[in-house]
Amino acid sequence: MDYFYSYLILAEIYVLLGLSTNLLVGVVGIFSVSQAAVFGVGAYIVSDFLLSGTLSFLPALAVAAVACIVLNVLLTLPSLRVSGDYFVVTSFGIQLLATAVFTNWTGGTGGANGLPGVPPPDLFGFPLEETRQILGFTTVAAGLGCLAFWLSMRAPYGRLLKAIREDELAVAAAGKDVLRAKVSAAALAGAFAGVAGGVYATYMSFIDPSSFDLDASVLLLTMVVVGGARTLAGSIVGPVVLLALPQLLQLVAIPTTVAASARQLLYGVLLIAFAVFRPQGLAGERL
Amino acid sequence: MSAYLEVSGVNQRFGGLQALNDCGFAIAQGGITCMVGPNGAGKTTIFNVITGFLRPDTGHVAFRGRRLDGLRPQAIVAAGIARSFQNLRLFVDLTALENVLVGLPSGFGEAPLGALFRPFHTARLDRARRAQAMERLEHVGLADRAAEKVRNLSYGEQKLLTVARLLATGAELLLLDEPASGLAAGALDQVMALLRRLQGEGKTLLVVEHNTRVVQQIADHVLFLHQGHLMAEGTPAQIIADPALAEIYFGGAL
Repeated sequence: MDYFYSYLILAEIYVLLGLSTNLLVGVVGIFSVSQAAVFGVGAYIVSDFLLSGTLSFLPALAVAAVACIVLNVLLTLPSLRVSGDYFVVTSFGIQLLATAVFTNWTGGTGGANGLPGVPPPDLFGFPLEETRQILGFTTVAAGLGCLAFWLSMRAPYGRLLKAIREDELAVAAAGKDVLRAKVSAAALAGAFAGVAGGVYATYMSFIDPSSFDLDASVLLLTMVVVGGARTLAGSIVGPVVLLALPQLLQLVAIPTTVAASARQLLYGVLLIAFAVFRPQGLAGERL
Repeated sequence: MSAYLEVSGVNQRFGGLQALNDCGFAIAQGGITCMVGPNGAGKTTIFNVITGFLRPDTGHVAFRGRRLDGLRPQAIVAAGIARSFQNLRLFVDLTALENVLVGLPSGFGEAPLGALFRPFHTARLDRARRAQAMERLEHVGLADRAAEKVRNLSYGEQKLLTVARLLATGAELLLLDEPASGLAAGALDQVMALLRRLQGEGKTLLVVEHNTRVVQQIADHVLFLHQGHLMAEGTPAQIIADPALAEIYFGGAL
């Protein structure tokens, strides 16, 4: 049962990341391939605070959220100047840069060896040590994330963001502040990713750069494509399905050395298959 | 007394091309002014200058005696001038009603904090906005198409929808870039009647139009642009009767 719970916890953390990526890439159309970097910054900030004992979990999570809001706004700013393909290249560079920092800044991130022994999350002094307690916490966090996404999308705000994805110039001609809307969406996406990072680090108790690299960013994009863009259901279905696949692969008798590459292979095949045959994903719209 | 809209001394160069060359004109309140001229005369460029999408190298735009130089597009919409696009630029994945809703002046729930922390207030105000947007759709005769995605509307319906979205801004001076182009006779009459009706409701219209029949029927005043400069102006009859202008416009075909 614990095995299933741990799958659910990870799936819920990735739902937050799916919401973050869907908001930025699916809704506003800012094609970021560096969301895993923001996720990583959230994870490292919370880990460092908890390991050094300077802050407890919730304040550390709040700091991580604020830092990731600022970071994501900064990372998204180039999209205001360069659009489309050029932003993808810029974003790609940002992700590589982040991986380099995570791998080499041994003082803050533990470098390639990672940070072991991150304490479990605690709420007002009560440590959440059992899997079921953590599951309760991640369920609330993912639930709040979903609520925020749903409220945003049904409000005039969501309509404005969707219009911006289609035609920024027309939105400006209608007298709207495109810049403010884009920055606020990046901020919201940053908050989701930062919180997801902090929860991930405390649940795993060990983090290293491999969770926040380009593969991870591509996995987040794959989740949006497979789940479907712009819908709450799509943001939930994508992570739930894609994280179930490696679990299913474990049921098939393949050596663990092959399993990791088999997973990447499968993700790649799924990404291509969905892009070609079902661009609207399982429960969403065309990216 | 200063003119309603006054454009003076505007120069705009794109590389080796002088798109606007000491371009200047004034338009009066309450009329329909048609802007004509051959392709490349600078008609769309002057629209871009007036609405803040383009900062000209030199020159000024004044609206109701107030200088608009350097204002961003949103500030110009707030000042009361809005424009449509020749290639429509509708949000084709949104419904007709949603397109008009985006055109309405910003209201509560268009920023994330309001949407997230006062959801009921947001929903209530949005219902009122929907009613308002619906009125605009009724105005152009598209009320029965409100819930339809724009990509499923006919070209004529899409043209009418751009006018509805434009009206939603509440602007009093409307700049329309070829509202009648590409329309069959029936739809054309519908658009012309709509423009006349808007004039009757107190709007001032500046319209880029190629179709001389449309110009003759709706224009109170015609501006003739050539090579980025106002070459002539007058009533439709005066402009059409001028053989020199016909020579430029039709390249001697007539």
